[in-house]
Amino acid sequence: MAAGRDGGDLAPRQLVFLLPEHLKDVSKKTKSGLLFVKLASPRSGEGAFYLFDMCLQQLFEVKVFEEKYHSWFINQSVQSGGLLHFATPMDPLFLLLHYLIKAGKEGKYQPLDQVVVDDMFPDCALLLKFPELEKALRHVTEEKEVNSKKYYKYSSEKTLKWLLKKVSQTVAALKANNVNVGARVQSSAYFSGDQVSKDKEEDYVHYAHGLISDYIPKELSDDLSKSLKLPDPPSSIPNPPSKKLKVSDEPVEAKEDYTKFNTKDLKTGKKNSKMTAAQKALAKVDKSGMKSIDAFFGAKNKKAGKI
Amino acid sequence: MESADEAADCKQRVHLRPGSLRDAAPATLHLLPCEVLVSRPAPVERFFTPAVRHGADGLQVSFRGRGLRGEEVAVPPGFSGFVMVTEEMGEGLIGKLNFSGDAEDKTEKMQEPLERDFDRFIGATGSFSHFTLWGLETVPGPDAKVHKALGWPSLAAAIHAQVPED
Repeated sequence: MAAGRDGGDLAPRQLVFLLPEHLKDVSKKTKSGLLFVKLASPRSGEGAFYLFDMCLQQLFEVKVFEEKYHSWFINQSVQSGGLLHFATPMDPLFLLLHYLIKAGKEGKYQPLDQVVVDDMFPDCALLLKFPELEKALRHVTEEKEVNSKKYYKYSSEKTLKWLLKKVSQTVAALKANNVNVGARVQSSAYFSGDQVSKDKEEDYVHYAHGLISDYIPKELSDDLSKSLKLPDPPSSIPNPPSKKLKVSDEPVEAKEDYTKFNTKDLKTGKKNSKMTAAQKALAKVDKSGMKSIDAFFGAKNKKAGKI
Repeated sequence: MESADEAADCKQRVHLRPGSLRDAAPATLHLLPCEVLVSRPAPVERFFTPAVRHGADGLQVSFRGRGLRGEEVAVPPGFSGFVMVTEEMGEGLIGKLNFSGDAEDKTEKMQEPLERDFDRFIGATGSFSHFTLWGLETVPGPDAKVHKALGWPSLAAAIHAQVPED
Protein backbone atom coordinates (compact mmCIF):
# COMPACT_ATOMS: atom_id res chain seq x y z
CA MET A 1 0.00 0.00 0.00
CA ALA A 2 2.76 2.38 0.95
CA ALA A 3 4.49 1.50 -2.27
CA GLY A 4 1.43 2.64 -4.14
CA ARG A 5 1.63 6.04 -2.64
CA ASP A 6 5.18 6.84 -3.51
CA GLY A 7 4.41 5.95 -7.10
CA GLY A 8 4.08 9.63 -7.77
CA ASP A 9 7.31 10.58 -6.04
CA LEU A 10 8.46 13.03 -8.64
CA ALA A 11 5.69 13.24 -11.16
CA PRO A 12 2.15 11.97 -11.26
CA ARG A 13 1.74 8.76 -13.14
CA GLN A 14 0.53 9.50 -16.62
CA LEU A 15 -1.79 7.22 -18.52
CA VAL A 16 -1.84 7.24 -22.29
CA PHE A 17 -5.42 6.73 -23.39
CA LEU A 18 -7.27 6.42 -26.67
CA LEU A 19 -10.90 7.45 -26.34
CA PRO A 20 -13.69 7.81 -28.87
CA GLU A 21 -13.55 11.35 -30.16
CA HIS A 22 -17.12 12.21 -29.26
CA LEU A 23 -16.42 11.88 -25.54
CA LYS A 24 -14.76 15.25 -25.80
CA ASP A 25 -18.19 16.74 -26.32
CA VAL A 26 -19.65 15.47 -23.08
CA SER A 27 -21.02 18.70 -21.77
CA LYS A 28 -18.90 20.71 -19.42
CA LYS A 29 -21.98 21.50 -17.45
CA THR A 30 -22.51 17.91 -16.55
CA LYS A 31 -21.26 17.25 -13.11
CA SER A 32 -20.22 13.69 -13.72
CA GLY A 33 -20.48 12.81 -17.33
CA LEU A 34 -17.82 10.15 -17.55
CA LEU A 35 -16.90 7.70 -14.87
CA PHE A 36 -14.89 4.56 -14.48
CA VAL A 37 -16.60 1.96 -12.34
CA LYS A 38 -15.64 -1.52 -11.36
CA LEU A 39 -17.98 -4.27 -12.47
CA ALA A 40 -17.90 -8.03 -12.60
CA SER A 41 -16.06 -9.18 -15.69
CA PRO A 42 -18.39 -11.37 -17.71
CA ARG A 43 -15.62 -13.85 -18.31
CA SER A 44 -14.31 -14.41 -14.81
CA GLY A 45 -16.70 -12.58 -12.51
CA GLU A 46 -13.77 -10.64 -11.13
CA GLY A 47 -13.68 -6.88 -10.96
CA ALA A 48 -12.74 -4.90 -14.03
CA PHE A 49 -12.94 -1.23 -14.86
CA TYR A 50 -15.47 0.01 -17.38
CA LEU A 51 -16.16 3.54 -18.53
CA PHE A 52 -19.69 4.95 -18.47
CA ASP A 53 -20.87 7.94 -20.39
CA MET A 54 -23.78 9.03 -18.23
CA CYS A 55 -24.96 11.60 -20.74
CA LEU A 56 -25.24 9.43 -23.80
CA GLN A 57 -25.72 6.28 -21.74
CA GLN A 58 -22.91 4.37 -23.33
CA LEU A 59 -20.61 1.72 -21.98
CA PHE A 60 -16.93 1.37 -22.84
CA GLU A 61 -14.54 -1.44 -22.22
CA VAL A 62 -11.06 -0.50 -21.02
CA LYS A 63 -8.18 -2.49 -22.40
CA VAL A 64 -4.45 -2.04 -22.16
CA PHE A 65 -1.88 -2.71 -24.80
CA GLU A 66 1.45 -3.53 -23.32
CA GLU A 67 4.68 -4.48 -24.96
CA LYS A 68 7.75 -5.39 -23.00
CA TYR A 69 10.63 -2.94 -22.95
CA HIS A 70 8.73 0.15 -23.93
CA SER A 71 8.40 3.57 -22.37
CA TRP A 72 6.86 6.90 -23.22
CA PHE A 73 8.29 10.34 -23.54
CA ILE A 74 5.36 12.63 -22.82
CA ASN A 75 6.28 16.25 -23.35
CA GLN A 76 9.10 16.90 -20.87
CA SER A 77 8.74 13.70 -18.91
CA VAL A 78 9.41 10.01 -19.13
CA GLN A 79 6.73 7.45 -18.26
CA SER A 80 7.79 3.88 -17.73
CA GLY A 81 5.78 0.93 -18.95
CA GLY A 82 4.82 2.20 -22.37
CA LEU A 83 1.19 1.21 -21.82
CA LEU A 84 -1.49 2.25 -24.25
CA HIS A 85 -5.05 2.26 -22.89
CA PHE A 86 -8.10 1.85 -25.07
CA ALA A 87 -11.70 2.66 -24.21
CA THR A 88 -13.93 1.15 -26.88
CA PRO A 89 -17.73 0.89 -27.02
CA MET A 90 -19.02 -2.28 -25.42
CA ASP A 91 -22.29 -4.17 -25.65
CA PRO A 92 -23.75 -3.96 -22.10
CA LEU A 93 -25.55 -7.22 -22.69
CA PHE A 94 -22.32 -9.10 -22.04
CA LEU A 95 -22.19 -7.62 -18.55
CA LEU A 96 -25.87 -8.24 -17.89
CA LEU A 97 -25.52 -11.82 -19.04
CA HIS A 98 -23.38 -12.53 -15.99
CA TYR A 99 -26.36 -11.73 -13.74
CA LEU A 100 -29.00 -13.25 -15.98
CA ILE A 101 -27.19 -16.58 -16.07
CA LYS A 102 -26.82 -16.55 -12.31
CA ALA A 103 -30.50 -15.78 -11.78
CA GLY A 104 -31.42 -18.23 -14.52
CA LYS A 105 -30.25 -21.09 -12.36
CA GLU A 106 -33.32 -20.50 -10.21
CA GLY A 107 -35.38 -21.16 -13.29
CA LYS A 108 -38.05 -18.54 -12.71
CA TYR A 109 -39.06 -15.25 -14.24
CA GLN A 110 -37.77 -12.26 -12.29
CA PRO A 111 -37.86 -8.50 -12.64
CA LEU A 112 -34.56 -7.11 -13.84
CA ASP A 113 -33.89 -4.98 -10.79
CA GLN A 114 -33.91 -8.13 -8.69
CA VAL A 115 -31.56 -9.89 -11.04
CA VAL A 116 -28.91 -7.22 -11.49
CA VAL A 117 -27.92 -6.88 -7.85
CA ASP A 118 -24.40 -7.22 -6.56
CA ASP A 119 -23.03 -6.52 -3.10
CA MET A 120 -19.49 -6.64 -4.41
CA PHE A 121 -20.09 -4.39 -7.40
CA PRO A 122 -23.11 -2.22 -6.53
CA ASP A 123 -22.51 -0.04 -9.57
CA CYS A 124 -23.96 -2.83 -11.69
CA ALA A 125 -27.22 -0.94 -11.16
CA LEU A 126 -25.91 1.58 -13.70
CA LEU A 127 -26.33 -1.11 -16.33
CA LEU A 128 -30.09 -0.81 -15.98
CA LYS A 129 -29.99 2.73 -17.30
CA PHE A 130 -29.10 1.87 -20.84
CA PRO A 131 -31.65 2.78 -23.45
CA GLU A 132 -32.99 -0.06 -25.57
CA LEU A 133 -32.21 -2.42 -22.76
CA GLU A 134 -35.54 -4.19 -23.10
CA LYS A 135 -35.00 -4.70 -26.77
CA ALA A 136 -31.54 -6.11 -26.19
CA LEU A 137 -32.76 -8.47 -23.49
CA ARG A 138 -34.89 -10.26 -26.04
CA HIS A 139 -31.70 -11.75 -27.44
CA VAL A 140 -30.92 -13.64 -24.26
CA THR A 141 -34.11 -14.01 -22.22
CA GLU A 142 -37.70 -15.14 -22.30
CA GLU A 143 -39.93 -12.42 -21.00
CA LYS A 144 -43.36 -12.19 -19.41
CA GLU A 145 -45.39 -9.17 -18.66
CA VAL A 146 -47.65 -9.14 -15.62
CA ASN A 147 -49.51 -5.99 -14.63
CA SER A 148 -47.30 -4.02 -17.01
CA LYS A 149 -44.19 -5.15 -15.17
CA LYS A 150 -41.66 -7.18 -17.12
CA TYR A 151 -40.17 -10.41 -15.86
CA TYR A 152 -37.21 -12.14 -17.44
CA LYS A 153 -35.71 -15.58 -17.53
CA TYR A 154 -32.35 -16.48 -19.05
CA SER A 155 -32.59 -18.55 -22.21
CA SER A 156 -29.45 -20.44 -23.16
CA GLU A 157 -30.98 -21.30 -26.50
CA LYS A 158 -31.59 -17.67 -27.44
CA THR A 159 -28.24 -16.65 -26.05
CA LEU A 160 -26.43 -19.13 -28.28
CA LYS A 161 -28.29 -17.81 -31.29
CA TRP A 162 -27.28 -14.30 -30.29
CA LEU A 163 -23.66 -15.36 -29.87
CA LEU A 164 -23.61 -17.06 -33.26
CA LYS A 165 -24.61 -13.75 -34.79
CA LYS A 166 -21.86 -12.07 -32.82
CA VAL A 167 -19.36 -14.57 -34.19
CA SER A 168 -20.47 -14.05 -37.76
CA GLN A 169 -20.26 -10.27 -37.57
CA THR A 170 -16.84 -10.61 -35.97
CA VAL A 171 -15.70 -12.93 -38.76
CA ALA A 172 -16.83 -10.32 -41.26
CA ALA A 173 -14.82 -7.63 -39.46
CA LEU A 174 -11.73 -9.84 -39.31
CA LYS A 175 -11.92 -10.30 -43.05
CA ALA A 176 -12.65 -6.66 -43.72
CA ASN A 177 -9.70 -5.60 -41.60
CA ASN A 178 -7.40 -8.14 -43.18
CA VAL A 179 -6.54 -9.59 -39.82
CA ASN A 180 -4.24 -12.53 -40.19
CA VAL A 181 -5.92 -15.29 -38.28
CA GLY A 182 -3.38 -18.01 -38.85
CA ALA A 183 0.36 -18.31 -38.45
CA ARG A 184 0.70 -20.09 -41.76
CA VAL A 185 -1.25 -17.38 -43.44
CA GLN A 186 0.84 -14.76 -41.79
CA SER A 187 4.04 -16.06 -43.29
CA SER A 188 2.56 -16.33 -46.75
CA ALA A 189 0.97 -12.94 -46.42
CA TYR A 190 4.40 -11.65 -45.68
CA PHE A 191 5.40 -12.30 -49.24
CA SER A 192 2.17 -11.42 -50.93
CA GLY A 193 -0.41 -9.15 -49.48
CA ASP A 194 -3.48 -10.74 -51.00
CA GLN A 195 -2.87 -14.20 -49.61
CA VAL A 196 -5.04 -13.22 -46.69
CA SER A 197 -8.19 -13.98 -48.65
CA LYS A 198 -7.13 -17.60 -48.84
CA ASP A 199 -7.40 -17.90 -45.11
CA LYS A 200 -9.56 -20.79 -44.13
CA GLU A 201 -13.05 -20.00 -42.99
CA GLU A 202 -12.55 -22.20 -39.98
CA ASP A 203 -9.55 -20.17 -38.89
CA TYR A 204 -11.70 -17.05 -38.90
CA VAL A 205 -14.42 -18.76 -36.89
CA HIS A 206 -11.84 -20.03 -34.42
CA TYR A 207 -10.42 -16.61 -34.00
CA ALA A 208 -13.82 -14.93 -33.66
CA HIS A 209 -14.86 -17.53 -31.12
CA GLY A 210 -11.75 -16.72 -29.12
CA LEU A 211 -12.56 -13.02 -29.18
CA ILE A 212 -16.19 -13.51 -28.12
CA SER A 213 -15.13 -15.98 -25.43
CA ASP A 214 -13.45 -13.15 -23.60
CA TYR A 215 -16.90 -11.80 -22.79
CA ILE A 216 -18.75 -14.93 -21.72
CA PRO A 217 -18.31 -17.59 -19.05
CA LYS A 218 -16.36 -20.71 -19.86
CA GLU A 219 -19.39 -23.02 -20.07
CA LEU A 220 -21.06 -20.76 -22.56
CA SER A 221 -17.87 -20.53 -24.57
CA ASP A 222 -17.78 -24.33 -24.74
CA ASP A 223 -21.41 -24.48 -25.82
CA LEU A 224 -20.73 -21.86 -28.46
CA SER A 225 -17.77 -23.88 -29.69
CA LYS A 226 -20.06 -26.89 -30.12
CA SER A 227 -22.67 -24.83 -31.92
CA LEU A 228 -20.01 -23.58 -34.26
CA LYS A 229 -18.93 -27.20 -34.80
CA LEU A 230 -15.41 -26.26 -33.97
CA PRO A 231 -13.32 -29.38 -33.44
CA ASP A 232 -13.10 -30.46 -29.84
CA PRO A 233 -9.71 -29.70 -28.43
CA PRO A 234 -8.60 -33.30 -27.86
CA SER A 235 -5.29 -32.50 -26.22
CA SER A 236 -6.99 -30.54 -23.48
CA ILE A 237 -8.70 -33.65 -22.17
CA PRO A 238 -5.61 -35.59 -21.09
CA ASN A 239 -4.45 -32.55 -19.16
CA PRO A 240 -6.22 -31.79 -15.92
CA PRO A 241 -8.50 -29.14 -17.34
CA SER A 242 -9.67 -27.60 -14.10
CA LYS A 243 -6.19 -26.62 -13.02
CA LYS A 244 -5.19 -25.33 -16.41
CA LEU A 245 -8.29 -23.27 -16.69
CA LYS A 246 -7.88 -21.70 -13.29
CA VAL A 247 -4.53 -20.33 -14.27
CA SER A 248 -5.64 -18.96 -17.56
CA ASP A 249 -9.02 -17.79 -16.41
CA GLU A 250 -7.77 -14.38 -15.46
CA PRO A 251 -9.81 -11.48 -16.70
CA VAL A 252 -8.75 -10.16 -20.04
CA GLU A 253 -10.05 -6.76 -19.16
CA ALA A 254 -7.84 -3.84 -18.72
CA LYS A 255 -8.91 -3.26 -15.18
CA GLU A 256 -6.04 -4.98 -13.50
CA ASP A 257 -3.60 -2.89 -15.41
CA TYR A 258 -5.68 0.15 -14.92
CA THR A 259 -6.01 -0.27 -11.18
CA LYS A 260 -2.44 -1.16 -10.70
CA PHE A 261 -1.30 1.65 -12.81
CA ASN A 262 -3.37 4.13 -10.96
CA THR A 263 -3.51 3.17 -7.40
CA LYS A 264 -1.06 0.44 -6.71
CA ASP A 265 2.50 -0.37 -7.26
CA LEU A 266 3.16 -1.80 -10.67
CA LYS A 267 4.61 -4.93 -9.23
CA THR A 268 1.71 -5.92 -7.02
CA GLY A 269 -0.12 -7.57 -9.88
CA LYS A 270 -0.30 -11.31 -9.96
CA LYS A 271 -1.79 -11.54 -13.35
CA ASN A 272 -0.41 -14.22 -15.54
CA SER A 273 -1.69 -15.39 -18.83
CA LYS A 274 -3.88 -13.19 -20.90
CA MET A 275 -5.12 -16.11 -22.91
CA THR A 276 -8.54 -17.30 -22.04
CA ALA A 277 -9.19 -20.90 -21.26
CA ALA A 278 -10.81 -21.47 -24.59
CA GLN A 279 -7.97 -19.91 -26.44
CA LYS A 280 -5.50 -21.99 -24.52
CA ALA A 281 -7.35 -25.17 -25.18
CA LEU A 282 -7.73 -24.38 -28.82
CA ALA A 283 -4.19 -23.22 -29.18
CA LYS A 284 -3.07 -26.70 -28.42
CA VAL A 285 -4.89 -28.11 -31.37
CA ASP A 286 -4.04 -25.60 -33.96
CA LYS A 287 -1.79 -22.75 -33.08
CA SER A 288 -2.65 -20.94 -36.23
CA GLY A 289 -5.99 -19.55 -35.24
CA MET A 290 -5.59 -18.67 -31.65
CA LYS A 291 -4.04 -15.31 -31.27
CA SER A 292 -7.25 -13.37 -30.85
CA ILE A 293 -6.96 -10.46 -28.48
CA ASP A 294 -3.43 -11.35 -27.53
CA ALA A 295 -2.43 -10.53 -31.04
CA PHE A 296 -3.75 -7.07 -30.41
CA PHE A 297 -2.39 -6.63 -26.96
CA GLY A 298 1.14 -7.81 -27.21
CA ALA A 299 3.02 -10.82 -26.04
CA LYS A 300 1.61 -10.66 -22.56
CA ASN A 301 0.72 -14.31 -22.33
CA LYS A 302 4.38 -15.17 -22.42
CA LYS A 303 5.26 -13.92 -19.00
CA ALA A 304 3.88 -14.59 -15.60
CA GLY A 305 4.38 -11.20 -14.07
CA LYS A 306 3.55 -7.68 -14.95
CA ILE A 307 6.03 -5.07 -15.83
CA MET B 1 -8.57 -5.62 6.47
CA GLU B 2 -7.62 -6.69 3.01
CA SER B 3 -11.15 -7.63 2.09
CA ALA B 4 -12.54 -4.41 3.52
CA ASP B 5 -10.08 -2.48 1.42
CA GLU B 6 -11.03 -4.45 -1.60
CA ALA B 7 -14.73 -3.96 -1.05
CA ALA B 8 -14.28 -0.21 -0.80
CA ASP B 9 -12.17 -0.36 -3.91
CA CYS B 10 -14.99 -1.99 -5.84
CA LYS B 11 -17.44 0.72 -4.88
CA GLN B 12 -15.08 3.49 -5.78
CA ARG B 13 -15.74 5.40 -8.94
CA VAL B 14 -13.13 7.30 -10.88
CA HIS B 15 -14.64 10.40 -12.41
CA LEU B 16 -13.17 11.77 -15.57
CA ARG B 17 -13.04 15.53 -15.12
CA PRO B 18 -15.66 17.01 -17.39
CA GLY B 19 -14.13 19.48 -19.76
CA SER B 20 -10.57 18.29 -19.25
CA LEU B 21 -10.76 16.32 -22.50
CA ARG B 22 -11.69 19.41 -24.43
CA ASP B 23 -9.23 21.67 -22.68
CA ALA B 24 -6.24 19.34 -22.84
CA ALA B 25 -3.28 21.00 -24.53
CA PRO B 26 -1.60 19.18 -27.42
CA ALA B 27 1.12 16.85 -26.16
CA THR B 28 4.14 15.36 -27.88
CA LEU B 29 4.56 11.62 -27.40
CA HIS B 30 7.32 9.20 -28.30
CA LEU B 31 7.00 5.46 -27.74
CA LEU B 32 10.51 4.21 -27.08
CA PRO B 33 11.75 0.66 -27.62
CA CYS B 34 13.36 0.42 -24.21
CA GLU B 35 12.54 0.09 -20.59
CA VAL B 36 12.91 3.13 -18.40
CA LEU B 37 12.24 2.20 -14.83
CA VAL B 38 11.34 5.60 -13.51
CA SER B 39 8.54 8.01 -14.31
CA ARG B 40 9.55 11.59 -13.82
CA PRO B 41 10.24 14.87 -15.55
CA ALA B 42 12.94 14.60 -18.19
CA PRO B 43 14.57 17.22 -20.42
CA VAL B 44 13.26 15.63 -23.62
CA GLU B 45 13.24 18.88 -25.50
CA ARG B 46 16.81 19.64 -24.59
CA PHE B 47 18.48 16.36 -25.41
CA PHE B 48 16.20 14.11 -27.41
CA THR B 49 14.13 16.24 -29.74
CA PRO B 50 17.01 18.30 -31.18
CA ALA B 51 18.89 15.10 -32.05
CA VAL B 52 16.07 13.74 -34.22
CA ARG B 53 17.06 13.75 -37.88
CA HIS B 54 14.37 13.76 -40.55
CA GLY B 55 15.87 11.72 -43.35
CA ALA B 56 14.38 10.57 -46.61
CA ASP B 57 13.80 7.16 -45.08
CA GLY B 58 12.17 8.32 -41.88
CA LEU B 59 13.29 9.56 -38.52
CA GLN B 60 16.55 8.78 -36.82
CA VAL B 61 17.90 9.52 -33.41
CA SER B 62 20.52 8.24 -31.05
CA PHE B 63 19.40 7.47 -27.53
CA ARG B 64 21.71 6.13 -24.85
CA GLY B 65 24.19 5.23 -27.55
CA ARG B 66 21.73 3.18 -29.57
CA GLY B 67 20.42 4.13 -32.96
CA LEU B 68 16.64 4.45 -33.16
CA ARG B 69 14.52 4.68 -36.27
CA GLY B 70 11.11 6.21 -36.05
CA GLU B 71 7.80 6.71 -37.80
CA GLU B 72 4.77 8.83 -37.16
CA VAL B 73 1.70 6.85 -36.10
CA ALA B 74 -1.81 8.25 -36.18
CA VAL B 75 -4.44 7.24 -33.62
CA PRO B 76 -7.27 5.16 -35.12
CA PRO B 77 -10.02 7.06 -36.95
CA GLY B 78 -12.77 8.24 -34.64
CA PHE B 79 -10.44 8.22 -31.66
CA SER B 80 -8.44 10.85 -29.83
CA GLY B 81 -5.38 10.36 -27.71
CA PHE B 82 -5.17 11.72 -24.18
CA VAL B 83 -2.63 11.81 -21.42
CA MET B 84 -4.47 11.36 -18.15
CA VAL B 85 -3.41 11.81 -14.57
CA THR B 86 -5.19 10.46 -11.53
CA GLU B 87 -5.56 13.02 -8.79
CA GLU B 88 -4.63 12.34 -5.22
CA MET B 89 -7.61 11.98 -2.93
CA GLY B 90 -7.12 15.41 -1.39
CA GLU B 91 -7.07 17.12 -4.76
CA GLY B 92 -10.38 15.55 -5.60
CA LEU B 93 -12.03 17.33 -2.72
CA ILE B 94 -10.58 20.65 -3.76
CA GLY B 95 -11.60 20.01 -7.30
CA LYS B 96 -15.13 19.41 -6.19
CA LEU B 97 -15.50 23.03 -5.26
CA ASN B 98 -15.50 23.84 -8.93
CA PHE B 99 -18.82 22.15 -9.19
CA SER B 100 -20.33 23.59 -6.05
CA GLY B 101 -23.02 25.28 -8.08
CA ASP B 102 -24.31 21.97 -9.26
CA ALA B 103 -23.81 20.33 -5.93
CA GLU B 104 -26.50 22.56 -4.46
CA ASP B 105 -28.99 20.96 -6.72
CA LYS B 106 -31.67 19.66 -4.38
CA THR B 107 -33.25 17.15 -6.73
CA GLU B 108 -29.95 15.47 -7.19
CA LYS B 109 -29.57 14.93 -3.48
CA MET B 110 -32.71 12.84 -3.39
CA GLN B 111 -31.04 10.00 -5.23
CA GLU B 112 -27.60 8.73 -4.50
CA PRO B 113 -25.29 11.23 -6.17
CA LEU B 114 -23.00 10.02 -8.90
CA GLU B 115 -20.11 11.65 -7.13
CA ARG B 116 -19.31 10.61 -3.58
CA ASP B 117 -16.67 11.77 -1.12
CA PHE B 118 -14.61 8.64 -1.43
CA ASP B 119 -14.49 8.70 -5.22
CA ARG B 120 -11.37 9.50 -7.15
CA PHE B 121 -10.80 11.80 -10.07
CA ILE B 122 -8.83 11.59 -13.26
CA GLY B 123 -8.26 14.35 -15.74
CA ALA B 124 -6.72 14.76 -19.16
CA THR B 125 -3.56 16.86 -19.13
CA GLY B 126 -2.67 16.49 -22.78
CA SER B 127 -4.13 15.39 -26.09
CA PHE B 128 -2.63 13.93 -29.24
CA SER B 129 -3.68 12.66 -32.63
CA HIS B 130 -0.40 10.97 -33.47
CA PHE B 131 2.80 9.90 -31.80
CA THR B 132 6.28 8.86 -32.84
CA LEU B 133 6.95 5.15 -32.69
CA TRP B 134 10.62 4.24 -32.37
CA GLY B 135 12.31 0.97 -33.18
CA LEU B 136 15.76 -0.19 -32.23
CA GLU B 137 18.01 0.14 -35.28
CA THR B 138 15.08 -0.41 -37.69
CA VAL B 139 11.83 1.36 -38.48
CA PRO B 140 9.06 -0.50 -36.60
CA GLY B 141 7.02 -0.85 -39.79
CA PRO B 142 3.61 -2.40 -40.40
CA ASP B 143 4.42 -5.58 -38.47
CA ALA B 144 4.94 -3.69 -35.22
CA LYS B 145 2.63 -4.91 -32.47
CA VAL B 146 1.44 -1.39 -31.82
CA HIS B 147 -0.06 -1.26 -35.29
CA LYS B 148 -2.04 -4.40 -34.57
CA ALA B 149 -3.20 -2.95 -31.28
CA LEU B 150 -4.39 0.15 -33.09
CA GLY B 151 -6.65 -2.11 -35.13
CA TRP B 152 -8.45 -3.14 -31.98
CA PRO B 153 -11.15 -0.42 -32.06
CA SER B 154 -12.50 -1.52 -35.43
CA LEU B 155 -12.59 -5.13 -34.33
CA ALA B 156 -14.16 -4.24 -30.99
CA ALA B 157 -16.80 -2.29 -32.88
CA ALA B 158 -17.84 -5.47 -34.69
CA ILE B 159 -17.83 -7.60 -31.56
CA HIS B 160 -19.98 -5.12 -29.68
CA ALA B 161 -22.30 -3.95 -32.44
CA GLN B 162 -25.93 -4.84 -31.85
CA VAL B 163 -26.86 -7.99 -33.73
CA PRO B 164 -29.77 -7.87 -36.18
CA GLU B 165 -33.16 -9.07 -34.99
CA ASP B 166 -34.50 -12.29 -36.46
